[in-house]
Amino acid sequence: MCAGCGAPPLPGHWTDAGAATPADRLRIRSARVQVLARILAGRHLTVRDGLLVPGLTLAATGGRQVIVPDLDALWSAAERLTGRCLDPLDDV
Amino acid sequence: MSDRLGLTILGGFLGAGKTTWLRHQRHAGLYRETWLIVNEAAVEPVDDRLLDWGAGLEVLSGGCACCDALAPLRERLRALCDARSAGRGPGTVLLETSGLADPAPIAAMIQADPVLARHLRLTEIIVLVDAVKGPARIATEPLARAQIAAADRIILTKTDRAGTPGLDRLRASVSALAPGAVVSAAVLGVAVSLPPADQNALPLEIGPEEGTPLDAHVLDVAGTDWAALSVWLSALIHARGADILRIKGVVHSPAGPLLLQSVGRQMQPPERLDAATDRLVLIGRGTSQAALVRSLARWSAG
Repeated sequence: MCAGCGAPPLPGHWTDAGAATPADRLRIRSARVQVLARILAGRHLTVRDGLLVPGLTLAATGGRQVIVPDLDALWSAAERLTGRCLDPLDDV
Repeated sequence: MSDRLGLTILGGFLGAGKTTWLRHQRHAGLYRETWLIVNEAAVEPVDDRLLDWGAGLEVLSGGCACCDALAPLRERLRALCDARSAGRGPGTVLLETSGLADPAPIAAMIQADPVLARHLRLTEIIVLVDAVKGPARIATEPLARAQIAAADRIILTKTDRAGTPGLDRLRASVSALAPGAVVSAAVLGVAVSLPPADQNALPLEIGPEEGTPLDAHVLDVAGTDWAALSVWLSALIHARGADILRIKGVVHSPAGPLLLQSVGRQMQPPERLDAATDRLVLIGRGTSQAALVRSLARWSAG
């Protein structure tokens, strides 16, 4: 565990298991944030991944933003920021 | 991975034959080096007296390991992990749950615990299903279905006392609830062979208390990129975790084939395997195959 920020308290999120090398890890994070950006644009949210720092930054129109450690936290935060459920089975 | 403490969970509805099965395994020389934790919902334990287990047995009584006794279970497992790290203590642990326990919250607790997540490996969830009373349980008890859905291995017990048509329907139900699980049979703990399953047998009808039945969907994810698939699955689990009881499959990733399996909202840490099937089995209610396929296609497009 990092003594400065307390992260990560657990082994990586399961969605990080797809990468075996540091290069893959960066590639997957980059691909993931593109998918997220496209999906979340429909909910008026923007998302950024600094790639060299942990976490994703989620921002709503109006300037509210939040840094989340993983995708589980991201979906909860997206629902908080928009006030609506985010269900992939809903046709948007 | 082998330096981790291996945990096997033995579950099954009340009276499914867990203790009988375990007694015979011990008699037959299996689980010799295994530490046994017996969980009983009743305050007064009984099972420990039935089991001639010697020193490595302890009882967790007065609550289910999935709810009331979850915190004591965590403490015990942590203590066993400590002992293992110190070079003493057993290498494998078997947890016999009470008949009212759902294995899924136990798996979730292990994954969410910072110590156990690193020091413990959930080897297998074995669930016993009574071939005589099981059909009625499955029809009326959501818990019985949840136990079966959480299983990696299902052992049908008391098959000598069940009629063939009933057994065929039970097997059809079990396969529908847990399509990925290996199904075998045992009578008084002794493995017996099952006749070939009747492919035309209908699953049991679910009783009136549960309006929507569980459906198993199989998704072909051969062409789906890992980044998109993992984003979609994480969103699906987040939104529908209460309804999608289990996801299981081996999919492609840049790191190689990965075994994905979730129980409720908890995805287990993916394991790397040799070959991918590129199919995901989703078990849940309130969704359709077409909706899943459309949703995944939309999320992974572009």
